Amino acid sequence: MNVRVENLRFAYRSFELRVERLDCEAARITAIVGPNGAGKSTLLKCLARLLPISPGTVFVDGRDIVALRGPERARLMGYVPQEPSFIFNYSVLDFVLTGRAAYLTPFTGPSAADRRVAEEALRFAGLEGDARRPFLELSSGERRLVLIARTLAQRSEILLLDEPTAFLDPRHEVEIMGLLRRLADEKGKTLIITLHNLDLAARAADVMVFIKDGRVVASGPAGEVLTEELLRTVYELDMTILEHAGRKVIVK
Amino acid sequence: MSGSVTRNRKAALLWLAAILLPLLLIIVSLNIGAYHIPLRDVWRTVAGVGGGPGAGPDAEAYRDILFRIRLPRVLLALAIGAALSVSGAALQAIFRNPLVNEYILGISFGAAFGAAVSVIFLGRAFPPQLAAFVTACGAVLLVFVVAGRALTQPVSLLLTGVIISALFQALLSLAQFLANPYALQAIVFWLMGSLAEAGWKELAVSLPLMTAGVVVLLLLRWRLNVLSLGDDEARALGVNVWGEKILVILAATLTTAAATAAAGVIGWVGLIVPHLVRMMAGADNRRVMPLSALFGASLMLLADDLARGATSFEIPIGILTSVIGIPFFIVLLRRSRRVWL
Repeated sequence: MNVRVENLRFAYRSFELRVERLDCEAARITAIVGPNGAGKSTLLKCLARLLPISPGTVFVDGRDIVALRGPERARLMGYVPQEPSFIFNYSVLDFVLTGRAAYLTPFTGPSAADRRVAEEALRFAGLEGDARRPFLELSSGERRLVLIARTLAQRSEILLLDEPTAFLDPRHEVEIMGLLRRLADEKGKTLIITLHNLDLAARAADVMVFIKDGRVVASGPAGEVLTEELLRTVYELDMTILEHAGRKVIVK
Repeated sequence: MSGSVTRNRKAALLWLAAILLPLLLIIVSLNIGAYHIPLRDVWRTVAGVGGGPGAGPDAEAYRDILFRIRLPRVLLALAIGAALSVSGAALQAIFRNPLVNEYILGISFGAAFGAAVSVIFLGRAFPPQLAAFVTACGAVLLVFVVAGRALTQPVSLLLTGVIISALFQALLSLAQFLANPYALQAIVFWLMGSLAEAGWKELAVSLPLMTAGVVVLLLLRWRLNVLSLGDDEARALGVNVWGEKILVILAATLTTAAATAAAGVIGWVGLIVPHLVRMMAGADNRRVMPLSALFGASLMLLADDLARGATSFEIPIGILTSVIGIPFFIVLLRRSRRVWL
């Protein structure tokens, strides 16, 4: 499913996010990058409708998401926060099962079929042996995998991920990005992620969207859009781009 | 797979205990009281087996004591225990705060104030249960308004609850101050928490209200898992967060108001029982809610038995649950310090 943003505006105190036009395609990873406070997470939350947006600004395959009811929207779009703020120590399976909420009424719990969907999601994320483990016993990297597995149980075609690799070691970083790649390639999902790590974005994303002060400065495939001049404009820092094994590597 | 077999066996034992314990306690409770009735005759009278204890003055007295005094009291204790525990567990889930309960949110004293006003000034013309529900809703609403945006912060919520609770305690004192001595005595004793006045008449109003609230909360048990993840996450999962939270709050307020109108302010049950259940059965509310209802019913009945049977005079049950509950809670806190289960 394709996501289109048109004349999106969100203001909070002195900050204003304004996106004239942005297209995110199915089976692609779109990485939103930019300095701290540029509005990356705000944009993601607007897309997930966690922040109030005007009708006629975000469309999924031509459908205005503001017009959709909660469960309908959740079946189209899954949101993965950086880290869930956990109070109760649910098991991994119980946590992933919450992804089925959009398919159930408030008075019904998940059925055996819902459970199978959740278990399949865990399998895809390589967590089949961890279903019974308490969530709080998991490492940071495993928790991210569980969060992604939940959006699989949610069966949403569009995945919005806020910094899916923040605070992770390189191995887990690669593992998470590998899973996202498989979701795009094998399942045709539309992935929109915010990232701090420019190298990772250049390596793993199909499209990079640069944001500064709430505005989209540039967007396109990493190979084309990434220049030293753009980095200087966005980050106000001189960086060198080197070519290594056919890939762009950024040296600060 | 031996781990899963052990786990299943443990879960089965827990459910068995949860179901058998209240049944056992009902039998014991019917037997406790100032007037001694032989166990055999208790059975015969209640179950109507063996033709009852026969005719004669004893049989008449047994029937009278068991059906008019002990049985409604036992039923009320079970209902109140289940109601307070289930509403405590549900409130803890939606506020994402294991320290929240109906007592802390101001619901208990809000309800007590309404019931007291009905009894003192209106001569029960306006049913105390209904008055309790109205003022308890008022107390919750006040907590919401005063806390405002800070509602999601555990400490702010608790502080606001304490303040609103204090306000309703003050109003309650004012009502007592204005009451005539006879009404005052009844109110003071009732406020400490007591099931002594329980009769079929009280039960006829309180029981359906508590049952309605408990049933709604039990039906929402899985949804509580989703709501406990926080507003943003629940919304992203497609949940109508505030609509469902308000439903939970209304149901919890209804059960607490009905319980308070029937037996006064009984604290700590809504805090201890869900904690205990989570320690034994894990955090999943699909298990926590029904198990809290069953163990809560047992705990309240046990407390009432102690209140009636431990000394020659009757200790108010609210005092008892606090005296037992607070040290118990301190132990729980120390043991489960690493995470909130």
